[in-house]
Amino acid sequence: MRILFIIYLITVVVSASAAPTVDIAIRNHLFYPSKVDIPADTKIKLLIDNQDPTAEEFESYELNREKVIPGHSKGVIFIGPLPAGEYPFFGEFFPKTAQGTVIVK
Amino acid sequence: MLINSVIIILREVFEAALIVSVLLAMCQILHLSRRYFLFSLVLGSLLAIVYAINISSISMLFEGIGQEIINAALHFISFICLQILIFSMANSSSSKMILWAIVGCFAAAFVREGFEIIIYILGFVGIEHLFDSVIAGSFIGAGVGFSIGVFFYYLIVSFNSLNGLRLSLFVLTLVSGAMMIQALQLLIQADIIISQKPLWNSSGWVSEGSVIGQILYALLGYESTPSPIQVVAYFMSLLFSSTLAVKSLNAYKWRIKE
Repeated sequence: MRILFIIYLITVVVSASAAPTVDIAIRNHLFYPSKVDIPADTKIKLLIDNQDPTAEEFESYELNREKVIPGHSKGVIFIGPLPAGEYPFFGEFFPKTAQGTVIVK
Repeated sequence: MLINSVIIILREVFEAALIVSVLLAMCQILHLSRRYFLFSLVLGSLLAIVYAINISSISMLFEGIGQEIINAALHFISFICLQILIFSMANSSSSKMILWAIVGCFAAAFVREGFEIIIYILGFVGIEHLFDSVIAGSFIGAGVGFSIGVFFYYLIVSFNSLNGLRLSLFVLTLVSGAMMIQALQLLIQADIIISQKPLWNSSGWVSEGSVIGQILYALLGYESTPSPIQVVAYFMSLLFSSTLAVKSLNAYKWRIKE
């Protein structure tokens, strides 16, 4: 419990330097928006709202991120700071439809 | 959907099967009891079910990074248990610590990989046109992953005991590094560890999405764009584990000489 409390304190301190939040929704196994523009060299908090009944796994090899988002649930993923470029992401459970790109400018 | 299910379940089962098969082979070589395997399987499966059922609320803990913290903790538990086993399995044959380290290793592997399988399959309950192919694909994927584990087990026990032990300790040393690098990756994703510029980008040579990339991920914790802290921790982990493995092997050689 003590370790969890310390981790929580660290989390609170870290989140005090709040990163800008970008909302992404998953509907009918598609990402909305599918193209996300973010500034270069900036840490961003992605808030992913899975509105489908099925789970989805947000995955991006380029961003080095992977997270299961259960059906009708939300998930938080931090990305960046990143150099300018395009970083594709996809839903591993429905990879044919759930595709998107983070565009860093 | 069938092919996708095969790939997803195979990937999860393969990661667990690798650790389980090596540890079971070590138990066989060292004549250690394997009866707690069933206990670990039941414990890990129950914890995986509890985790999967509560994943929505767990994910939103600690301002949305609860899932990363739990998963990182599971990787660290695996790492610690693996160090205990690398060092002590060949040193002494009867110790409660060894037994609990094996239970910890097995259970953490079952929870880590099992919860994703449960969430994936549960999501399709009630979607009739997809459910059958998801179940069929899951069985095929699990079957292939299980078969690879069985193959690995018999490959290790087919060697003489010293070489079997050498191979097992080598694989466990690599898997320990994989656990460390994956745990750090989760903490970076949760913004607990500050994200750094990648030290290199090897995705042009081996993509993480390729078959080789997936195998290397399970075995070595392969990341095509690792951060400096991950690389340093990985090599320190390899150094630490291999030192323990060498001491363990030397102790085993003395034991079989006597």
